[in-house]
Amino acid sequence: MNSLCRGILVGLLVWPWLVVADPESNLETGVNEDVQTLKQQVLELNRDLFMLEEELLFPSNTQVSVFVSMDVGEFFQLDSVQVKIDGKEVADYLYTRRELDALTRGGVQRIHMGNLRTGEHELVAFFTGKGPQGRDYKRGATTQIQKGLGPKYVELKIVDQTRNFQPEFDIKEW
Amino acid sequence: MPKRLLQFLLLWVCLATISSGFAVSVKPQQVLDLHYGEVLFHFYQEDYFTAISQLMVAQEQNLLRHHQDESELLLGGLQLSYGMPDQAERRFDRLLVHNTNRELRNRVWYYLTKISYQRGHYRSALEKLQKIEQPDEKSIAAELAVLNANLHMALSENNKAAEALKKIRAPDGWKEYLRINRGIALLRAGELEEGRKTLDKLGKENADSEELRTLRDRANLGLGYELLRAGDAAQAREYLNRVRLQGPFKQAALLGAGWADAEKGDYEQALIPWLALLELSSYEAPVQEAQLAVPYAFAQLGDSQRAIHFYEKAIGYFDDEQQQLDTAIQGAQSGVLLSLLSQTDTGISGGWLHDTPTLEGVPSGRYLVDVLAAHSFQEPLKDYRDLGYLQQLLNEWLDNINLYYDMVDARRLAYQQRAPLIRERLEIQEANALHQRWQDFQSLTHAQHGSGDPLDLATGKEKQQWRTLRKVQITLANLPPEPRHTNMLAKARWLQGILYWQIQANYKARLWDVEKQLQALEGPITEAVAQHQQVSDALENVQVGFDGYDGRIEGLRQRILALLPRIQASRKRSSEQLQRLALQELETRRQRLVSYRIQARYALARSYDLIAQQSGEQP
Repeated sequence: MNSLCRGILVGLLVWPWLVVADPESNLETGVNEDVQTLKQQVLELNRDLFMLEEELLFPSNTQVSVFVSMDVGEFFQLDSVQVKIDGKEVADYLYTRRELDALTRGGVQRIHMGNLRTGEHELVAFFTGKGPQGRDYKRGATTQIQKGLGPKYVELKIVDQTRNFQPEFDIKEW
Repeated sequence: MPKRLLQFLLLWVCLATISSGFAVSVKPQQVLDLHYGEVLFHFYQEDYFTAISQLMVAQEQNLLRHHQDESELLLGGLQLSYGMPDQAERRFDRLLVHNTNRELRNRVWYYLTKISYQRGHYRSALEKLQKIEQPDEKSIAAELAVLNANLHMALSENNKAAEALKKIRAPDGWKEYLRINRGIALLRAGELEEGRKTLDKLGKENADSEELRTLRDRANLGLGYELLRAGDAAQAREYLNRVRLQGPFKQAALLGAGWADAEKGDYEQALIPWLALLELSSYEAPVQEAQLAVPYAFAQLGDSQRAIHFYEKAIGYFDDEQQQLDTAIQGAQSGVLLSLLSQTDTGISGGWLHDTPTLEGVPSGRYLVDVLAAHSFQEPLKDYRDLGYLQQLLNEWLDNINLYYDMVDARRLAYQQRAPLIRERLEIQEANALHQRWQDFQSLTHAQHGSGDPLDLATGKEKQQWRTLRKVQITLANLPPEPRHTNMLAKARWLQGILYWQIQANYKARLWDVEKQLQALEGPITEAVAQHQQVSDALENVQVGFDGYDGRIEGLRQRILALLPRIQASRKRSSEQLQRLALQELETRRQRLVSYRIQARYALARSYDLIAQQSGEQP
């Protein structure tokens, strides 16, 4: 009886052999290969649809995109960014923890994509969050952007300034 | 707990690839192309579908000039994370053919190693791992060592696995993982003493986070069971006692502790943890086993009455559980499983479920969720969910396609309305006329430099005055030669001289000014001519463009329509696969319960026999 019960014991409880990464089990290859092929085809189709949509909604001659990037982010914890172009609000974005993590790791977020006529335009960005010592912090940055014939890319950069332990907000035209 | 399982199970596959420090640089990436940064933004959030789509678009539009090789590597890594290992492997192989730099080649070999590992081609994976040059960064070296050790363990080369983990100087956050894996490898290699020492040290350490406390529990539990198997029950009990009763290994630890006592012959002591297990309203394996273990202990203590009571109770428990399992099996067969699976459709492409599944109205749902949370279900379930997302996405595109048709039609109509007016205006050739006038002035100024006549640069007023004076002189010259007329003629000549002198005095300044103005006008006039040409060309080509859009939109619509039924069919096959797996698993559990029940009945019968025997012996 004792050996019988011990047999059950060994069968039920699996030793936790691998802790960091377990080898994935062999899949039922037929279904999986089919799924892989479908994924590839949908991705290619999605790319073509995305490009068509962009051409129709945001033709390159009028297209303008605003991006947000963050360098380190030690002196400023971002909560939200608001963007105005020629006095009109075009974006007001509240960030999640995962998005902030993605930004501090080098990710760049496209916060706005729209259309502008060629010529000069005023872009204003407001950054809200927690500054040094966890205090509420709101700063704005303004620039005049020159829209030419091709697509226009503008980057809103949040950079830590170690010389004065303050965040710096910069706007760069690409 | 079961509610959390479905949420958890979709995370695992992602973590297996994303947590790698080698696959993705540990340090923040320096982004030289905004669109590459945008891909990273989605990648870091584990939204692989969006990241791959953005990357493919950026590559197509040639927007990743500074990250060409990296973007290929990233695309391969994304494909791997998104469950497309075949495509990823082909991409990595292509990258190796190129003359890529050392760091990139190392990363490619790392990914190829992972692919072989995931496919269970361990020997091939090891060969690929050997191609990776030893990295400088400690965390990457640790990660490679764990991969190396796992591969050796999979090939039952446990000594080599332990050796691989011994050499590595682990950075913070890795030490405990390396040690537990090394301890396990040593035990499996038969080096019990060394393995025990390694795990014992880890099991005693202070842990300041839940993750480390769980790891510590795991080490103690594993060591306890290994010693139990080796026959050292006293030592085993010691390690099992260290496992927290608030942690995830509570049930296994209680069961093992009871067996350690039973192994020592102390059945009274063994009953304490086993009876504690019976108090838990759980259907998990340790509790099921305790149902048999408790009466077994009473029988060993000679308390047949209690043994009978608990065997009967166990049979009731197994009957009840079996009924539940039967309901779960019926549910899985009748589509309840599919309604549970439909809760995984969240409309986002990432591998995260934000809400726990609702088991309301799902008969014996806890069993189904439990089964779906098993490791073997993760890949098929992920495929099922991915296909659901693709289906939803294509349906949304299909709705949008009609809007695109409308947009192109609206533009075509606007073109038809405006084109005649624009064409009319273009025919006036305003830009070319301006350009001609500019060229005339240009010629004039050039001529001035040769034989300049200051009068050519006279202002309109001066020219008017000049003409008036000329006219006055002609009129006076035709009058009778009277002194009065002669004086007036002389005065007119004198005024003309003054006027000429004034014009001539400003001539150089005027010439310079004119040249400056002509120069300033050159740009705008050239641009106006170019714009005229552009508008003219656009006007001719726009009709062709509309027809092109019509063709493109229709082509894309056809591709969507062709893919949708295939996705639907594949999803059906995927759900059938899940259903088949679930039924197999539920049947295995059912068979186990049947076996337990038979054992309980057999033991119960023996207990009754024993009592009957004892009563027969007593007159």
